[in-house]
Amino acid sequence: MDATFEGYRRPDGRVGVRNYVAVIPTSVAAAAVATATADEVGAWARATPHQLGTSQPDAARRQTERVLVGIGQNPNVGAALVVELGTEDIDAEDVADRVAADGTAAETLTIREAGGTEAALDEGETRLHRLNDEVKRARREEADVAELVFGVECGGSDATSGIAANPGVGAACDRLVEAGGTACFSETPEFIGAEHILADRCVDEETRERLLDRVDARESMAELMGVDLRGAQPTPGNQEGGLTTIEEKSLGAISKGGTTPVRGIVDYAETLPVGGGLVLMDTPGYDVESVVGKVAGGAQVVAFTTGRGSTTGNPIAPVIKVTGNPQTWERMSNNIDVNAGTVFDGESIDSVGERVYETLVDVANGRRTESERRRLEEFAINEIQPEELTAEADA
Amino acid sequence: MSAPTAPTAAERTFQGVRRPDGAIGVRDNVLVLPSVICSHIVADRIAANVEGAVSTPHDHGCAQLGADNDQTWRTFLSLAANPNVAGTVVVGLGCEEIQSEDVAEALQSRGVPVRELSIQGVGGTDECVRRGVEFASELAAARSDEAATAGLGDLTLGLVSSDLDATTREVADPLVGEVARAVVDAGGRVVVAGNERVTAHPAAARAATVGDARDSLADLLDRHDGHPPRASGVGRAARDRSFEDATRSWGGLDVSAVVPYGDPVGIDEGLALVDAPSRFAEATTGLAAAGANVVLHATGDGVLTGHPLVPVVKVTGDEGTVAALPNDIDVDATAADADDVLDRLVDVANGRECCAEAHGLTEFAITRVGPSM
Amino acid sequence: MKGRVLDDTLLLLSDDDTVGTAVDDLEAGTALDYDGRSVTLAEDVPFGHKVALEPLAAGDEVRKYGEIIGTATQSVERGEWVHTHNCESTRGRGDQAATGGETA
Repeated sequence: MDATFEGYRRPDGRVGVRNYVAVIPTSVAAAAVATATADEVGAWARATPHQLGTSQPDAARRQTERVLVGIGQNPNVGAALVVELGTEDIDAEDVADRVAADGTAAETLTIREAGGTEAALDEGETRLHRLNDEVKRARREEADVAELVFGVECGGSDATSGIAANPGVGAACDRLVEAGGTACFSETPEFIGAEHILADRCVDEETRERLLDRVDARESMAELMGVDLRGAQPTPGNQEGGLTTIEEKSLGAISKGGTTPVRGIVDYAETLPVGGGLVLMDTPGYDVESVVGKVAGGAQVVAFTTGRGSTTGNPIAPVIKVTGNPQTWERMSNNIDVNAGTVFDGESIDSVGERVYETLVDVANGRRTESERRRLEEFAINEIQPEELTAEADA
Repeated sequence: MSAPTAPTAAERTFQGVRRPDGAIGVRDNVLVLPSVICSHIVADRIAANVEGAVSTPHDHGCAQLGADNDQTWRTFLSLAANPNVAGTVVVGLGCEEIQSEDVAEALQSRGVPVRELSIQGVGGTDECVRRGVEFASELAAARSDEAATAGLGDLTLGLVSSDLDATTREVADPLVGEVARAVVDAGGRVVVAGNERVTAHPAAARAATVGDARDSLADLLDRHDGHPPRASGVGRAARDRSFEDATRSWGGLDVSAVVPYGDPVGIDEGLALVDAPSRFAEATTGLAAAGANVVLHATGDGVLTGHPLVPVVKVTGDEGTVAALPNDIDVDATAADADDVLDRLVDVANGRECCAEAHGLTEFAITRVGPSM
Repeated sequence: MKGRVLDDTLLLLSDDDTVGTAVDDLEAGTALDYDGRSVTLAEDVPFGHKVALEPLAAGDEVRKYGEIIGTATQSVERGEWVHTHNCESTRGRGDQAATGGETA
């Protein structure tokens, strides 16, 4: 098995598996222009529209900025155009400067200065073509798999997730970690009930404490809302698929990260270390927001296990869909990349893990996933809600 | 403030669509409603392929708890009942919290023409787009050709001022306020967003609110107690100004109803407050859910996007904004009077595109009241 | 996969478990051998869902993966389907916190 792939070496030394021009709106007011310009020019332009406001409380705004900058700095991005209306709290120049700090080419487009919608669409397209002229000159070079930051997610889970798909992806994570790479999983509410297992694997006390702290914070959000977690965790789909409690879901979920020691836990959208082994990220279980957090942290490729058949992808990082449910594979193979349901026919977990790993390397080398082929690219940023800010203040 | 003198209300008529419940729509769209973020791309593709269909892509529908989940649910149902909507295709993924089947069932029992499908139910995104296009086309074809003559009294005018800049407070809002009075005088309804104004000035808000609405206002204040406003800039400005200063767009009208975000308004005429933050996309969705068939958006900044369900007429009192965004602003409040705005509203109600409809860029969002799980 | 399959019907992930997972849609009346004892399904159980391998009293722990996944909310017979109607979580119980009940 090759331990290398062909990737795009960026100025900061990290390697991308795609070569996009990212079109990043600073707020919901600029999102439609960002999307329209990207759609107009071609598949090499990837917009990251979101619904966050033109003015947010400080803590929420800082998190939004961190995500926007992280996306611009993801190694799959060769250049970034940051789009703003011009009157938002988040300043496009500021975001562009922060993106450019790692050597990524970053420019801004201010709709007000461009002269309005039509004018901004025109100018946006011109600027994107120019940025792409630079970006498409990048040549791929051989890179070690150790340079991969592999994000792992589970969504639309059912009982097969913890039995087949997650252990299979976990086996691939073990291989990557062994080869010197980084594997990252998140979805903190889906540690509830299994956190003691992860805690035991933490390499130091600080990581262990941080982990338990974060799980506690997520669990108390349910208390905050005065409701039990059910319906949100597990979801109706989870329950139809046989998952009864959050504990059961979590015990099955954590296996997607493999069996190696937990080297650290980072915040939502915080930069993930290259060559960092197994690292957790504190995110909601909410899939689209969770994947975005990892991609903003620098993950170049994501594997997403699904029992029920989630079809979501991401604009910046290719998402590999893996199912352990034979029925889902049969019905929805157009939207799935790897069938782990073969485990029920006797294929070993290690063998599935091998196939997932091979797919990871293939995708890193340029093979498009089903969600890429269909341009299924969901994007949403986790917004810290006023209730959470109040709870933090009270804590 | 004097009421506009000519043309008279009787002369301001337009051709609208009469819905089964008697409400008048000024647009006649099939709504393709994704019940969750995971199906929004499919919903967009369905709508793009059917003449007369619009989609409402959003970031929610899953991983929400309690009141937060409930708010998204209620918003979906109310949007499908908006008078500008001819029928609804609900598109789900299948495993999410807000199930498309449940949404469709609830709509059916309310008499809304509806179809439903889910990505997992039909076996993938390709098939879902194909069948969704069939459903949306069916609903589009079932629309009646019949126009109904309507007037200002048939308007449910939605108002959102997404900032409280000096020009908004001093120029745009007062103009909007005159328009609001005219609509109410003609027997119409006005629904306003912008809860920051009342949470900043509870006593003044109570004084402006009449009858049973006072209880609803108390509920609203309760809900926000201890929570900072979502639109922090407007929140600060509302606190720094007087209630009167911050609510000139309400035209000095009494608040006759106060509704939670996502709920329809119950009164037949007068002014109602919707518990929505002053973030344009979220506010306009809240106004549409409340029953607005056209929206007047006062914006000093020049937020230029429209909304898939209601025509949004942009008003600014900021000359810099008028100069910077000449093709995105419908009304220059430094030069227009209430008659001009009323004429424009009637024009738009009659089918003329507002600026946002001309460029076609829309934004749709639902207000969250809890964390993602 | 981890664990062992009993009579082609139920996956037992750990020997400590009190439930097995159906590896196919199973019909009521299906019998299987569980370490010398016979377990008969009291009802239809869908693929991926759980079956009690031991009788449980209300309040007893339910174990899968060798860990606690919840508690029985009523008494459960050997061979009964185990799911949200008779098993609940002890975690994320904001509803209990709201009423002053116990949380994990």
